[in-house]
Amino acid sequence: MTTMSPHSTDETMKPLSFWESATRWTMSVDHKKLGLMYIAAGLVFFLIGGVEAALMRLQLARANAGIIDPETFNQLFTMHGTTMVFLVGMPVLLGFGNYLLPLMVGARDMAFPRLNAFGFWLFIFGGMLLYFSYVGSEGLYGAPGAPDVGWFAYAPLTSRTYSRGNSTDYWILGILISGIGSMTTAINFIATAICMRCPGMTLMRMPMISWMMLVVAALVLVAVPVLTAAQVMLLFDRSFGAHFFDPQTEGSAILWQHLFWFFGHPEVYILVLPAFGFVSEILPVFSRKPIFGYGLMVAATVGIGFIALGVWAHHMFVVGMGPTLDSFFAASTFLISVPTGIKIFNWIATMWGGRLRFHTPMLFVTGFIAMFVLGGLTGIMLATVPVDWQLSDSYFVVGHFHYVLFGGTVFGIFAAIFYWFPKATGKMLDDHLGKWSFWLLFIGFTLTFMPMHISGVLGMPRRIYTYEADRGFEIWNLISTIGVPIQMAGVALFLWNVVKSLRNGKPAGDDPWDGWTLEWATSSPPPEWNFDRIPTCTSARPLWDKKHPEDPDAHYE
Amino acid sequence: MTSLPVSTSSAMPASAAPLRAAYSRAKVGMASLIFMESAFFGTFLVTYLYYIGKSPDGPQPLDCLELGPVTVNSVCLFASSATVVFAVKALARGAVAAFRTWLLITILLGLEFIVGTGLEWNTLINEKGLTIASNAFGTNYYSLVGFHAFHVIIGLLILIGILVLSLTGCIDPRRDHARIDVATWYWHFVDAVWIFVFALVYFIGRVPQDFVGHIPVGGGL
Amino acid sequence: MNAPQTHGKNAETPHVDELPYLRAIPRPTQWPLVTAFGCSLMFAGIVTHWAVSVVGAAAALIGIIGWFREVFPHEVTEEIPVIDCDVPLPAPTFIPRAPHVAHTRRIVPEAIHPYRSGIWGGLMGAAAMAVVAAAWGIIDAGSVWLPINLLAGILMPSVGEASLEALKSFNGGWFTAAVMLHLVLSLLVGTIFVVALPMMPKRPLIAGGLIGPIIWTGVAWASLHVVNPALEQHISWPWFLASQIAFGFVCGGTIARFNMVRLQLGQTLAQRLDVEQADGGAR
Repeated sequence: MTTMSPHSTDETMKPLSFWESATRWTMSVDHKKLGLMYIAAGLVFFLIGGVEAALMRLQLARANAGIIDPETFNQLFTMHGTTMVFLVGMPVLLGFGNYLLPLMVGARDMAFPRLNAFGFWLFIFGGMLLYFSYVGSEGLYGAPGAPDVGWFAYAPLTSRTYSRGNSTDYWILGILISGIGSMTTAINFIATAICMRCPGMTLMRMPMISWMMLVVAALVLVAVPVLTAAQVMLLFDRSFGAHFFDPQTEGSAILWQHLFWFFGHPEVYILVLPAFGFVSEILPVFSRKPIFGYGLMVAATVGIGFIALGVWAHHMFVVGMGPTLDSFFAASTFLISVPTGIKIFNWIATMWGGRLRFHTPMLFVTGFIAMFVLGGLTGIMLATVPVDWQLSDSYFVVGHFHYVLFGGTVFGIFAAIFYWFPKATGKMLDDHLGKWSFWLLFIGFTLTFMPMHISGVLGMPRRIYTYEADRGFEIWNLISTIGVPIQMAGVALFLWNVVKSLRNGKPAGDDPWDGWTLEWATSSPPPEWNFDRIPTCTSARPLWDKKHPEDPDAHYE
Repeated sequence: MTSLPVSTSSAMPASAAPLRAAYSRAKVGMASLIFMESAFFGTFLVTYLYYIGKSPDGPQPLDCLELGPVTVNSVCLFASSATVVFAVKALARGAVAAFRTWLLITILLGLEFIVGTGLEWNTLINEKGLTIASNAFGTNYYSLVGFHAFHVIIGLLILIGILVLSLTGCIDPRRDHARIDVATWYWHFVDAVWIFVFALVYFIGRVPQDFVGHIPVGGGL
Repeated sequence: MNAPQTHGKNAETPHVDELPYLRAIPRPTQWPLVTAFGCSLMFAGIVTHWAVSVVGAAAALIGIIGWFREVFPHEVTEEIPVIDCDVPLPAPTFIPRAPHVAHTRRIVPEAIHPYRSGIWGGLMGAAAMAVVAAAWGIIDAGSVWLPINLLAGILMPSVGEASLEALKSFNGGWFTAAVMLHLVLSLLVGTIFVVALPMMPKRPLIAGGLIGPIIWTGVAWASLHVVNPALEQHISWPWFLASQIAFGFVCGGTIARFNMVRLQLGQTLAQRLDVEQADGGAR
């Protein structure tokens, strides 16, 4: 089934000089190279953001610690949040979309390959500008310093009065530039999913991940421009003395919150829907069953996309919006748990009665489901207005969204890396080391973030740089900090695994997992043109149909 | 997902189609871009709406904004949407001279809009004393109208580029009319946005201050 | 889902423009990078020096022009070194299924109880539960109305404030609420039973009749003082468990008495309707 015409091009044989390969990568408009560069750059930022988090945990390990001064601490949590959301989550997920979307819909490239490169480089330069603030900005007290206004940059902390110098401008511009990059990539995703599908691949035969990416792209196009507009307004406030967000001069600080969260909540789904896509691709393959309820999964995805646009103000219950708005946003937030719950049940039903194979990707996927459900449940708690009044801006919230974004998105990303690494490189990642990585990450993650719920309920506010000794926070914070080196060991092991496998990993072959989607129908790594012949498609599992002509899915559609 | 059997008389089953792309990449891409820009302008429009009547101090909309000049500008901009359609239609039937003429007219109408807006701003700044820093009205007015004008300028640059290419003989009507048609979508979008901006700024927003104070705009905001 | 395509018949040779990158891929180019760099510098000038913006604008302009020349008048591409690219695309191969071939894939569950059995089971279980609850009321608490009123407390907050005397006497509103709630919940659980029981790995009756009620009673015992304090004050947990088990066994037993029906997944609508097909061309 997997006979591929060998493209024994001579150039792959002889090693390239550093300069040659650098040019080849920087000038590339190939979606696979760009996707890998997205993921690699995202992982670099992941390490940076991780170090920032580790420093904060070090400071918080015991009461009244003085390792880090308050100003630096403010910069650390601002940069950690901004980095993880804009420079890790978005690019890694967009990178996977870039790599997988054309392969999975059977196309030779994205719809606009050059625009794709443009978006990638905007992300890189945006991230570089943001981090340039550490040396180039004029921060507090005139010395260079990173932005320190929190990742959601609430007004009026961002006004000229309270944020001297221009570090906040760096935050605005860095995110604005990379945001423009995300939007161009989203346009590309939509055009690719709609226009570039191979013959026979109707919309309802697209792999789940393509559906997720399509919905994510639509969300990016609705949400990110709102952030861009709000950031432009903030820039006007700071540069030209405009009056958008400064309450002392007719502006409205709450308007910033509305605009930011109108972006911010869809952003959460932008970050988690691609991970849903990874799960929906990996789970069936390792359960040896087709995805349960394909049509319902698609409907739930689109439903999440729509409802995600109407829940933003549940981040603002403590603002005092009044009972009407509070109840509306609480209700819409409860509503979004319905399509999300449908997905969880469909995943469980996919595993149910399947022949499960617990390789590393599957481990991460099951970890994803468990952790995401926990994060979702605390989310429902926080959507309840009175509970939110009690817990808002406490460590409970920090625990909640790390369960969703770390236990959810990051576990999904690791699952995807272990699953598609053989396709991208032709080498398998070491499964044994991978399982070690998983358990270290899982245990470290639980140690770090589970106690945060407790310290939050006990009343520990987020963003404080230290706390007093007699509040009952110490033991929980200590446990949280103990989890950090365990996670770091897991990540280090993963990096070692990547290096080791790239050097002398087991050859993967074209289809190591016995997959069903089109990316496994080409060689590993795929040639620049993806497919020697454009594939055709008769069902949602085109490769199954080709492998099992006696019992194709097409009979069951 | 069962469906009734379709006609099986044809040699190829229905699932074989389509062999050609159902939609043009350029059209889908431009539609997505316009969708994205709509969200961008939507933010500024909503913000403008929210701030109507919330500027007790400084120059007021009723005193500053005059309907005369802006109506002329608007008519020019709306007319340019029609002339650009004539240009594309002329190109589609291969009439290059007519295409260039209509395109030139479109560009001139667009330039009139930009110059008209510039003159209006000049009056506002120098005679009425309204700047972006004077009050929330000024902030919103210049941001919204300014961003629209900025997009008109981008649209104009695209149109001028097309005209230059046409004059230097680089445009082949047969080959390029579809692309140019898609490019003009952007111009139509800029016009459509102006409908909303015009209505909001010059009609909805141009009402007496104390009257507006009672309109529960954006209740909980 | 797959609406019949109108143009399935004429296999026209695809036009190159309509099938992008059929025979070529775009050539690598530096212009998007230059443009992105220029745009970023334009923004960076705001926080550094205006000259940076000027340089950025120049770079962006050069980049845009270079980019434009890359796609106009013709996209610059590289040929794909594969020989059979020029062959028109193959149609998706599709072998119609022979009408009466046995399944080679396992479909789980193969058969289910009819849904109406769940409704009957729910009603029967509701009756059994009511009998046990009433028995508790009469034997243990001295009034048949106490369990009914306590059940109404889930819906009506006024129950929580009522005295024990009031709880032991008849109240029309509470009675209606309790009966409605009991019926709705029983029917709901009955339908859940009918869907879930065939999925249970072994001995569905034990799962539904014993394990389920015990787990549910445990959950209720742990959480009831938050959800409904009034109910928790007066409740007797052994009787509660007994009523749950009565529901489970009677409901499950009723469902089990119905004959199972085979699922007809993977068959076309025509086959499900037993319509003879002309030439097996269904999808």
